[in-house]
Amino acid sequence: MIRSFGEAALLVELDGPELAQALAASLRADPPAAMLEAIPGLASVLVELDPLHGEADAMAVELEGRLAGLRPREVEGRLHRIPVTYDGPDLDEVAELTGMSRDEVVAAHASVVLRVLFCGFAPGFAYLGDLPDRLRVERLKTPRTTTPPGSVAVAGTMSAIYPAALPGGWRIIGHAALTLFDPRSDRPALLMPGDRVQFEPA
Amino acid sequence: MIEVDEPGFLTSVQTAAGRPGWRHVGVPIGGAVDQWSARLANRLVGNPDDDALLEITLTGPALRILGATTVALAGARFEATLDGLPMATNVGRHARGGSLLRIGRGTGGRCYLAVAGGFVTDRVLGSASTDLRSEFGGHEGRALRRGDRLETGVSAGPLRRWRGTFGDGPIRIVAGVHADGPQQLSGVEWTVSDQADRTGVRFDGAPIVLEPAEVASMALPLGAIQLPPDGRPIVMLADRPVTGGYPVPAVVIQADIGRVGQLLPGQTVRFELVPTDEARRLLREMERELAAVEAIDPSTDDEPGWAGALR
Repeated sequence: MIRSFGEAALLVELDGPELAQALAASLRADPPAAMLEAIPGLASVLVELDPLHGEADAMAVELEGRLAGLRPREVEGRLHRIPVTYDGPDLDEVAELTGMSRDEVVAAHASVVLRVLFCGFAPGFAYLGDLPDRLRVERLKTPRTTTPPGSVAVAGTMSAIYPAALPGGWRIIGHAALTLFDPRSDRPALLMPGDRVQFEPA
Repeated sequence: MIEVDEPGFLTSVQTAAGRPGWRHVGVPIGGAVDQWSARLANRLVGNPDDDALLEITLTGPALRILGATTVALAGARFEATLDGLPMATNVGRHARGGSLLRIGRGTGGRCYLAVAGGFVTDRVLGSASTDLRSEFGGHEGRALRRGDRLETGVSAGPLRRWRGTFGDGPIRIVAGVHADGPQQLSGVEWTVSDQADRTGVRFDGAPIVLEPAEVASMALPLGAIQLPPDGRPIVMLADRPVTGGYPVPAVVIQADIGRVGQLLPGQTVRFELVPTDEARRLLREMERELAAVEAIDPSTDDEPGWAGALR
């Protein structure tokens, strides 16, 4: 489904992150005329165009053509094995909410290979999913005004590592010692859309 | 070279285009909140549109201009003096070495100070603009402080003036991706809350309740109007996070988004829904305005202090 999103953008809604990443990658590799940027969300791609030099209708036709030939991303991103010290301030509460022991929470969190679904919120912040159903917890009722960098947190079906001190309502179950974002680097973000993450108890 | 005597409320190095190309890894596009005025300021001193300049917020800085150059202010009208003489907005001026540029309070949120050749800073991820939240880019990744020294460029074209004005009618919007909202947004009065910064402007008024209250996270275009569960709309500006998970019933048109960045807490506004074609027409009109900057003829110009500054 392609929707008009203001006079300078279209939103392409897709069936999931794999298709969204595939479309965004295709558009970045071979940008249509008048396209400025293509940015993936969870199950969509925002396509921005220069409204002075392109018509949204013509862009929508071009995007229909791309979608017809689109396959979920075949090339896997990098696999990151990330050691985590499971000592977060919310670990006990997550155990209580899920009816598991602390060790079972840790085992569940490290049991699956997670995928970078999309990035957003802050530089280097990657939304990882999906967590096993038994680990699902709601966000904190009152978000923290600051969550320390390196915090490994969970909310709903997703997990994330905080790249910097940020406000947040996710529940912190541990921490990882690594740089997720370095603006001075050629590859500023460690985790890119399509990459995979395997957490390992440190 | 320019030295900061007083930094003002929030003064930072920005560019009109911001930092495109990195949103897919979560880096906001940033840059000038009122892009159009930033481009105008640059044109008034003969710079390319995207040269680095200063974004000045609410109360301006006092700056010592160490070497002769040319300067211009554009955006909201701020009280300003150059060596004690009034300095108008929207016109390029010569400034001799050692002069003091003092910028006071504004009639709107922001103005832009351009200098000949732009401010020279390291480019981070391809841009000279300051990411104030993540603390990189611009001048040491932060707002200016007393004692800072900023390198400026040398080359610049002739000085220019812009004689246009802005309307103060409704903020025009076009439909977003979630239905129902545009009609509820338009036709009623909204008050600018005190939550107004480079990220966005939140409005107070009769709350709008949309179902569902949360949607799959998507990347947000400039001007997207987000409706969080409390029903108070937020117009997203330059420093907006890349993605958002609240419904977006409407988008402020590109021609009017700079005006949102100029709103002050307590002001009231209305939104007016327009067709997409009209939004494009208005944007072309804004581009024509930018092209309408006139060369200044020093022999006939009546700008206060102008002739004196030429000596």
